[in-house]
Amino acid sequence: MAPAVAGRVSRAHQHPAVRVLLYALSRLLALGAAVVVGVYLTILVANMGGYVDQIKRAEIREQVALSVSVNEQMRQLPSEVRERLIEEMIRNEEHRLGLDRPFLARSVSYLKDALLLRLGFAERMTSDVGSRLVRQIILDRLPATLLLFLSAQLLLFFTSVAAALALSRRYGSLPDRLVVALAPTSAAPAWFYGIFLILIFAAGLRWLPFGGMVDAPPPEGKLAYALSVLRHIVLPLASLTLSSIFLSVYAWRTFFLIFSSEDYVELARAKGLPGRLVERRYILRPALPTLVTSFALGLIGAWTGAIVLETVFNWPGLGRALYQAVALYDTPVIVGSTILYAYLLAATVFALDIVYAVVDPRVKVGLEADR
Amino acid sequence: MPKDLQVGSRKACGWLVVALALLAPPAGAQAVRVGAWVDAVVAVEEPSDAAAVRRLEAQDLHAWFSSTANPEIANRVRESRTLRFTTSLGLVNELTFNPVGPVFPGTDRLNPFAVGRIREALNWLVDRRHIAQEIMGGMGVPRWLPINTAFPDYARLADVARRLEIRYRHNPERARSVITEEMQKLGATLVGGRWQFRGRPVTITFLIRVEDERRQIGDYVASLLEQVGFEVERRYGRAADLNPLWIVQDPAEGRWHIYTGGWISTVISRDQAGNFDFFYTKRGLARPLWQAYRPSPEFDRLSDRLGKRDFRSVQERNRLMARALELALQDSVRVWLVERQAVWPWRAELELVSDLAGGLSGSFLWPYTVRLRGRSGGAVRIGLPSILPEPWNPIGGSNWIFDTTLYRATQDYPLIPNPHTGLPEPQRIERVEITVKQGLPVTKSSDWVTLRFAPTIRVPEDAIIGWDSRAQRFVKVREKHPQGLEALVKSTVTFERDLFRKVQWHDGNRLSLGDILLGWILTFERADEHSPLFDRSYLPTFQSFVETFRGFRIVSEDPLVVEYYTTSWTMDAELMTAAGSFWPLYGFGPGPWHTVALGIRAEAAGRAAFTAAKATEKKVERLNYVAGPTLAILDRELDAARAENYIPFERALTRWIKPEEARQRWRLLAAWRSGRGHYWVGMGPFLLQRVSPVEKIVELRRFGRFPDPATKWLRFGAPRLASVSVVGPRQVRAGSEAVFELRITEDGRPYPPQDLQEVKYLLFDAREELVLQGRVQPSREGWRVVLSPEVTARLRPGSNRLEVVVVSKAVSIPSFGSATFTSLPGR
Repeated sequence: MAPAVAGRVSRAHQHPAVRVLLYALSRLLALGAAVVVGVYLTILVANMGGYVDQIKRAEIREQVALSVSVNEQMRQLPSEVRERLIEEMIRNEEHRLGLDRPFLARSVSYLKDALLLRLGFAERMTSDVGSRLVRQIILDRLPATLLLFLSAQLLLFFTSVAAALALSRRYGSLPDRLVVALAPTSAAPAWFYGIFLILIFAAGLRWLPFGGMVDAPPPEGKLAYALSVLRHIVLPLASLTLSSIFLSVYAWRTFFLIFSSEDYVELARAKGLPGRLVERRYILRPALPTLVTSFALGLIGAWTGAIVLETVFNWPGLGRALYQAVALYDTPVIVGSTILYAYLLAATVFALDIVYAVVDPRVKVGLEADR
Repeated sequence: MPKDLQVGSRKACGWLVVALALLAPPAGAQAVRVGAWVDAVVAVEEPSDAAAVRRLEAQDLHAWFSSTANPEIANRVRESRTLRFTTSLGLVNELTFNPVGPVFPGTDRLNPFAVGRIREALNWLVDRRHIAQEIMGGMGVPRWLPINTAFPDYARLADVARRLEIRYRHNPERARSVITEEMQKLGATLVGGRWQFRGRPVTITFLIRVEDERRQIGDYVASLLEQVGFEVERRYGRAADLNPLWIVQDPAEGRWHIYTGGWISTVISRDQAGNFDFFYTKRGLARPLWQAYRPSPEFDRLSDRLGKRDFRSVQERNRLMARALELALQDSVRVWLVERQAVWPWRAELELVSDLAGGLSGSFLWPYTVRLRGRSGGAVRIGLPSILPEPWNPIGGSNWIFDTTLYRATQDYPLIPNPHTGLPEPQRIERVEITVKQGLPVTKSSDWVTLRFAPTIRVPEDAIIGWDSRAQRFVKVREKHPQGLEALVKSTVTFERDLFRKVQWHDGNRLSLGDILLGWILTFERADEHSPLFDRSYLPTFQSFVETFRGFRIVSEDPLVVEYYTTSWTMDAELMTAAGSFWPLYGFGPGPWHTVALGIRAEAAGRAAFTAAKATEKKVERLNYVAGPTLAILDRELDAARAENYIPFERALTRWIKPEEARQRWRLLAAWRSGRGHYWVGMGPFLLQRVSPVEKIVELRRFGRFPDPATKWLRFGAPRLASVSVVGPRQVRAGSEAVFELRITEDGRPYPPQDLQEVKYLLFDAREELVLQGRVQPSREGWRVVLSPEVTARLRPGSNRLEVVVVSKAVSIPSFGSATFTSLPGR
């Protein structure tokens, strides 16, 4: 026990900056390890532990069989010549997809490249603009994804927090009861609302477009283009909002109600402090770490898009691209998007640790935290 | 008037004059619209058939260039007043059997489908009409044979097909009896209604694909197998799950018995004789499953002969085919079930020509014929399930069917396939003379083709047969084959006289021989290991080409007349013209020499590559001529090419590409690039106006300098399918004459006899055996089948059926009609 106690004592005398640094390093190491493990697991899962190689080999053979079955010129060749050519086609494609190297060796390469952010080339997919670079595949879709999902996230977060705060003041009122009653509507996903909104506003009333990101052909001017995007974003944004707003308001309102009934809040009210001040200083401030966490994680959640909603609205988002990557077993794209998300998540978690300490004086770092 | 105003007014007048001059049509051309009927086509992505139909109904789209096989949606289209549709047959479902056994090696597991008669019995067990009508909701056509019911071979052999279809029609009792007999021979016993082998139930592992109707078909067949006493283990899965089992693994491992197979044809194939070799013999593919095939020696020999086209006449081929079809059903390593009927919808105010096999997306004629009813001009909005998934470049770009649909609008052809028969029709050629080695069963149907036969066809010494990459010159036959060379076919193509004056590229350049010859150089150059353009993935295609290629020769440069020599032949002379080899179209789009040259420079410098395989190998981007990062690479190449007035393979091509032409090409291309923002230059009725790759929108604009009038291809409308009804006596007494009237019509009007290939009849007796068959000749009374007293005397009492098969010249789908009558004993 003695050395451990000595260690503790010596750390207790460390300068606060050193303690913060050591803590930061340990957190970074832990997060780094989590990223490595997470990404390698993703590689293993995305490739079914190497079984995907067999699937790809089978696909290549099926595609070659189909292409030969409809190729008159190939079918007219003597069978031995045809076989030789077919084998060559298969060999070429297997080489192109790296199937001539063992999966284990490839998995280590995937991991190394991912950690170094060498996203490289996709195996099968191309980006919208025709590039094979994984970076470009992601970048092509990122603006549309962020535009829709970030807008939805911001709209949803601020609307629901504001509404929840207001409702927490009017507990039991008609709007409060209405929100409680409507909360279960969030069980339906956004695309479900999307279909209805399309039927009503596009097919029925013809006020808004069926889908897509912009009119076809796209307007020439920047302003006209932006207005067109605005028209097209209304329905998907409404779907996303409708599918979450009531539950979100309900959840935040319950959260605020818990804080509102704390003794120190009651005391503040009893002291006759103004309502706004009580809200800001005694309810919102202690709730801030949770709010910030929810907001930050919501923002990075926007990164992944939503497959079905994007499909329903023909929205060129990352969700569809990633789904396609999974369907095509395009490991570099899957790994590329995962590592970016993992780094983003790790950075956010790390930043949140620091933010907690800033916004909430109760949070201590290092030895004091241990106590 | 103030001076400024005067100047402004003069300027305005000047502009007005210029504008009027630009807008005014040239004298004498006011009435003739050239190229496309509509001014613009805007293509957008719409992956869902249900959403597409809603958008069509809401006038948000004019056409959806994809098909639906969903019965409810198809019915909605059929019943809609505002929509029109066409149907196509191209996708076929079948049952693929594992033929190893009867006991899987090293196991106790019985494989009943190792026995041909049990596989054959499945033809009687399965009710194909149930699959077509009930499972697919009427969106299918029953199929028994390894040839497509909508393709010419089926029409040629319609009588044979009909006979076999009747022989193998649904007969579960017969199936059960054959299965019982054969299972008992295998040593299996029926215990409590379940088959057992060596004391254990006989379990069939059935691989069932789930992506489409094959799931329901699989369940249906599985339940039928259970009804005849088998245990069935249903393994559901997508392609990725099941392909490793059926196409990769050795069937001798016994991990499956049946698989729900599917095959697709997107173009009309006029010769399907090779299907037997491909689907039933080990020569088909070097996959373990194919290597397990053991056709009967007769079937194997016939398949081989048909695959190699070892026959001397059409009649002999028909005889071989007829026997092969019969043997295919006896062999039945594949039991063909149903062809999927797809519905392609568009709005009623739109008119366009679709392809019998490929529908709208596979149609070559859609850009030439798409128009808004009753007017020219206007813009059309079309939806496609997915566009621009891959880069566009003419040599190794996107082959995605819906991208092909779009860039097809930007290219033109020397010949265009007839959408209803698959035979080519001339677009840029005047005539073709085909000389075929004597003894080959080749025929012709078109007046623009002359067909001759010769005892030998010698390839001229000065014909070109190769390319010397290092010396940059064409190799002549006399150098490579000093002893001389023979071919089986010589094709002499005479292009239109004013070809080089009337055909223009979209950027304003004129077609030249350089465009055509660059394609020939690349044919060889890309297969040369010493060339910077060498592409390993291209080798199989090249090797397959040189197997049969015997040379070409330019007989005349203007007018362009070329000769082409080959050992490859087809039964239709029209399909051997080789005119496409002398046209600047590559596998994946149009290629004027100057845009292709930019790609050549980029690939040779290692900055980008045409094909996906080479791009991967060299770790560079694949060239995209319409968007993306390679546009910047092409920009740099254009600047350099323009600066040095670059001519590709200059030593060889300088004879056909003069410096002035090169200068003009680079200048106009630079203007094109700055105006349109891409390098996709074609010569078709539409030019590529703008591509929005992320938004997935492609805009096509009518090409105003297209050489042909818009009316040129209007003669093709809906496929001219014949309707046949047979009217005759309900009762026929043996020994008396019976006359049956045939009404062959098209949209209620009599079908012109000169447009009919043949009308055949088949008479089946009460036991469903073929009693008589023959051809029907038109007479003054019309089409009639007369059964003589001798024939009716041979009929046993009972219900007989007279089947009539009508084969048209205008469409490859035959039509059928029938009448039943009862034969009574003679007086």
